Amino acid sequence: MSDSINTETSTDAQASTGTQASTDGESPGIQTTAGESEERVREEWTQYQFDGAAKLSVEDLNVWYGDDHALKDVSMEIPENSVTALIGPSGCGKSTYLRCLNRMNDRIKAARVDGSVELEGTEIYDSNANLVELRKRIGMVFQSPNPFPKSIRENISYGPRKHGDINKGLLARLFGRDDTEAEAELVERSLKQAALWDEVSDRLDDNALGLSGGQQQRLCIARCLAVDPEVILMDEPASALDPIATSKIEDLVEELSKEYTVVIVTHNMQQAARISDQTAVFLTGGELVEYDDTDKIFENPESQRVEDYITGKFG
Amino acid sequence: MSDAYATTDRLVSAESNVYDRGLDATIALSVVGFALGMVTLVGLVPLDAGGSALTGAFATLLAVVVGAVGISGLASYTGVAPITSQRVRGIGIGLVVSAVSLAVLAVALPVTMATLLGVVLLVEALALVAAGATSRAGVVDTEPNMSAGLLAGSVFGAVGLAFGTVIGGALVGFGSPLWAVVALATGAFLLAVTVLPREDVGSTASPALVVATLGLVVVTGVVGVGWQWNPQTLSGGFTGSAVIPVFLLFGTLLSAWSAAKCRAGFGARGREYGAFLVINLNAFLMVAVMATIVLFVTLKGVGYAVHGITVGALTLLVVLSPALVGAVQFARSPAGTSDWNTGVRQLFRVLPLALVGSLGTVLAGVLLTGSTLRYAFTYVVQVNRAGETIDTAITVTPDATVGTLLLIAPALLLAVAFFRAFGSLRSVGTQSARTGSVRQAVPTAILGLVALIGCFLVVGPSPFGLPLGGTLGFAAVVAGTLAAGALAVLPLAGVLASNGSSLAASAQDEAPLFTLGVFGGLGLLTAALVLQPVAAVNPLVGPVNLVPAVALLGAVASLAVAVLTTAARRGSEETITRRLLAEETRLGLVGAAGFTALVGLHVAVTGVSFTVLGVSVANEGSLSWPMVMQAYIPLGLEPGGIMPAIVGTVWLVVGATLFAVPLGLGAAVFLTEYAEQGRFTALVEIATNALWSTPSIVFGLFGAAFLIPRLGGDESLLAGMLVLGFMLLPLVLITSREAIKSVPNEYRDASTALGVTQWETIKSVVLPAAMPGVITGVILGVGRIAGETAPLILVLGSTLNATNAVDVVGGFRFVARPPFVVNDALLTASASLPTQVWAVIAAGVSGSPQMGWATAFILLMVVLTFYAVGITARTYFRRKLDYE
Repeated sequence: MSDSINTETSTDAQASTGTQASTDGESPGIQTTAGESEERVREEWTQYQFDGAAKLSVEDLNVWYGDDHALKDVSMEIPENSVTALIGPSGCGKSTYLRCLNRMNDRIKAARVDGSVELEGTEIYDSNANLVELRKRIGMVFQSPNPFPKSIRENISYGPRKHGDINKGLLARLFGRDDTEAEAELVERSLKQAALWDEVSDRLDDNALGLSGGQQQRLCIARCLAVDPEVILMDEPASALDPIATSKIEDLVEELSKEYTVVIVTHNMQQAARISDQTAVFLTGGELVEYDDTDKIFENPESQRVEDYITGKFG
Repeated sequence: MSDAYATTDRLVSAESNVYDRGLDATIALSVVGFALGMVTLVGLVPLDAGGSALTGAFATLLAVVVGAVGISGLASYTGVAPITSQRVRGIGIGLVVSAVSLAVLAVALPVTMATLLGVVLLVEALALVAAGATSRAGVVDTEPNMSAGLLAGSVFGAVGLAFGTVIGGALVGFGSPLWAVVALATGAFLLAVTVLPREDVGSTASPALVVATLGLVVVTGVVGVGWQWNPQTLSGGFTGSAVIPVFLLFGTLLSAWSAAKCRAGFGARGREYGAFLVINLNAFLMVAVMATIVLFVTLKGVGYAVHGITVGALTLLVVLSPALVGAVQFARSPAGTSDWNTGVRQLFRVLPLALVGSLGTVLAGVLLTGSTLRYAFTYVVQVNRAGETIDTAITVTPDATVGTLLLIAPALLLAVAFFRAFGSLRSVGTQSARTGSVRQAVPTAILGLVALIGCFLVVGPSPFGLPLGGTLGFAAVVAGTLAAGALAVLPLAGVLASNGSSLAASAQDEAPLFTLGVFGGLGLLTAALVLQPVAAVNPLVGPVNLVPAVALLGAVASLAVAVLTTAARRGSEETITRRLLAEETRLGLVGAAGFTALVGLHVAVTGVSFTVLGVSVANEGSLSWPMVMQAYIPLGLEPGGIMPAIVGTVWLVVGATLFAVPLGLGAAVFLTEYAEQGRFTALVEIATNALWSTPSIVFGLFGAAFLIPRLGGDESLLAGMLVLGFMLLPLVLITSREAIKSVPNEYRDASTALGVTQWETIKSVVLPAAMPGVITGVILGVGRIAGETAPLILVLGSTLNATNAVDVVGGFRFVARPPFVVNDALLTASASLPTQVWAVIAAGVSGSPQMGWATAFILLMVVLTFYAVGITARTYFRRKLDYE
């Protein structure tokens, strides 16, 4: 497992390395993709003011994969109960950034993280941080649907069972403390939240791998919701899905933002414009270039590069 | 489009013409020749067979071919399994033609098998030449390439080189260098013939030449049956009886390849068909080799192995019951919709049921009429180096006694099978307050009994001279048993007493009683049953033991419930009611099987047999299989059996598996999931691979020199288990690592993102997904160690004809000082099947070779049984992962 670099992250890392190599000769120090104009990132572009409390506040976050500097001095605050979209070209570090928020990068041996991420004022990179609790509070949905090869019911109740919130073992059954009813409620609630209940309610004991791709992804969202998180991180959740499944996921994200803080990485700028409240644009080299209200970013960005990216001049 | 593409081929090929049919027949003749080659190679038909023996052999061949082709043709003609392929039809006709002409030749000509095989080769060669010439002359529509290609050319060149070597050696001798010239010339000639002309000539002429040479050599008797060649450089020699079949196999493969190329019109399609045919015949050859080995050992050993089997009809019926249930399940599975086929498929699905049913009826007839079924045969033993024929028989007696093991095993199997099909009856029917309180009381009562069992286990049934077991224990057993009996009849009583409008309605109303009755009854009775020997009591009601009587009552009541609900289901229309009643039926069957198992368990535990209506359950069952169930009888008339060796082998495998699988799997988990991938893991990998390829005798020497001095100084079962475990370890480690590595990382990511710790992730996601792979490794490893002989000779001793088996289970003793548990049986030498085979057959230790073959046969069966268990387990785990 130690050599298991998530595909997405490794392509990100490779892509940025490749860029570095191709542009080093022309303009040392600044890495750009072809067609990207040169400019300095100004600090005020990333100063996003919002009402209400910040759920997550990130300060001076740097990530290296070996010698490769994947994320540079990223600071941003993510407001509560809203949808934050992260956009940018391939290899800009947005997935890396997302994985820093619930410390999934710990699973990559080559990754080194420096900086601070606070969840409601508590530092999650503290050496005493309780990773189980952290990941219970900050859930994650991945790019490709990854249900376990178990029944739909077991997929949903997996997290709570492993955390000891639901007890269905032989001993529990013998002593009459069997939580089957609680499990049934949890499964129903989570699946309804993920808008999947009507499609699967009569086959909860079937293997989850028999579902269609869109259904699998919604099952993954339901599985994530079952542990009752506060923040949901989504890494391009609709990129492997067809348009109908994508629109279902998008509706779901909007619905979820009423109760949860959603951070979503996407390649699809229309999607970001449709569903997010605020948007952060990462550009080549692992920099956060601009972070503001979605309308502001898409209609009147400060940075020339961001405007070029959004209008499709590069990326 | 350029002109080069102007003359494209037809999209659909025309009907077969004479050329096509002829080649189909050639391919069919090759197939027949190939089969004959294998038959003669294993000596099923001798090569010098002539006259009536030859006619008989070809009559059999004709019957087989005509039967197979006839049935398929009939199925095709009636539209059951339509055969549309022209080629398959052609080959079918060709098979019949070949078989008929061969049979006619065998009758008409005064020849031997060998000559006839040579004729087959010559005919093949002629057909190939004709096909090649027809194609070259442009009579038929083919699309050959410029050349047959260098690959084919070099193959024929090599064949030519070999031929030339033999011919040169025969003509001028190996003394003069001329033989090399002849060899090179022949090789170059064949290479040129293959590569230079157009493909249709190149890929027919060379095989025709080679096949014709082989055929001529055989027909002219240059290489006959009695022919022998002992080259001075080799210690062995070649005999005609081995060489001619090999000629035939090789020649028919070649001509099949060539004929297939011709049939498909050369070019890319020709190569495709040729390769298809050769690969298929190859696979067929491999399967045939394996089947031959198994068949050979079986034929040699089965007569001795099954001598003197006597079995009671009732015992057979009980053993047959899981098969009956399986057959019913099979018959119930849907038969599809296609109109004509539905009937046939239904027939096919009912067949196993009919088979089991007829067998069961025969057995029931034996039981009722009291007559005996008997199949008599003879087998040969070696007495003073002379074969002595002994009469024996397989007998089915009308004995109505059932052994405990033969009752418990099928009953448990059925209970588990029904339980797996059973869903749940949760939240159906009216849950009354009284059932609620009983539901609460049952687990408490079971826990009380379990606590009592624990007490008596620790302090004994009469601590400090107080007869606690006789009083308290007795009362508890009686109370528990009676309560269990009451629970078991509860569903039946509930349904009958309920005032529902119909049977179905009352069964639906009283659904809560079903689970309570069956599971509560089974649980309580099991606890009472275990308490019984621990408290050293055995309550009687008159002459009858209480516990089995109640168990029997429970079984009958549950069966009655099952019958009742089935009857109610027939009269019910509503889907939900029907589904509920089906559940109740299954539950009733779980109860019936479970309570029956408990009857057997009681007899096994107490040793007191239980008889009702002339049917009895006893420790001494009515199955007698001398070879498997008896030990060697010294100086007896009957030589007895090899039970100690079977027991030894089973314990060796079980011990080695218990030792190696946890260790290997644990190491695999550590190396794959936890350890940093680097030099250390690479080193471990190399070391494991090296360990896996270490010769087994080295393991044996290690065991003999290192383990035995530390394990009491004598050859022992434990040393054997450990040595076999060491051998199994690397394979388990390697396959487990591969299986764990192949579990997708997405599962681990998903689990980590839910906040689940790594160990929990491994336990509940990674290992279940890796399980089929792990089990595959264990199956392979067990196959290797079960038959391992060399290390066992060194560490286990080669106890021949042991008179008693090791008693591992009974050998455990608890002592008051470390190590607290000792087992003398593990430290004694034991017999084992492979060492027994080795001693009897290879080392020539006194004993009959027939017995050796029978032992080998039983060893094969034991290994296959282990395989079956492993494959079942793998299928189970794989099905859990699949979404079918």
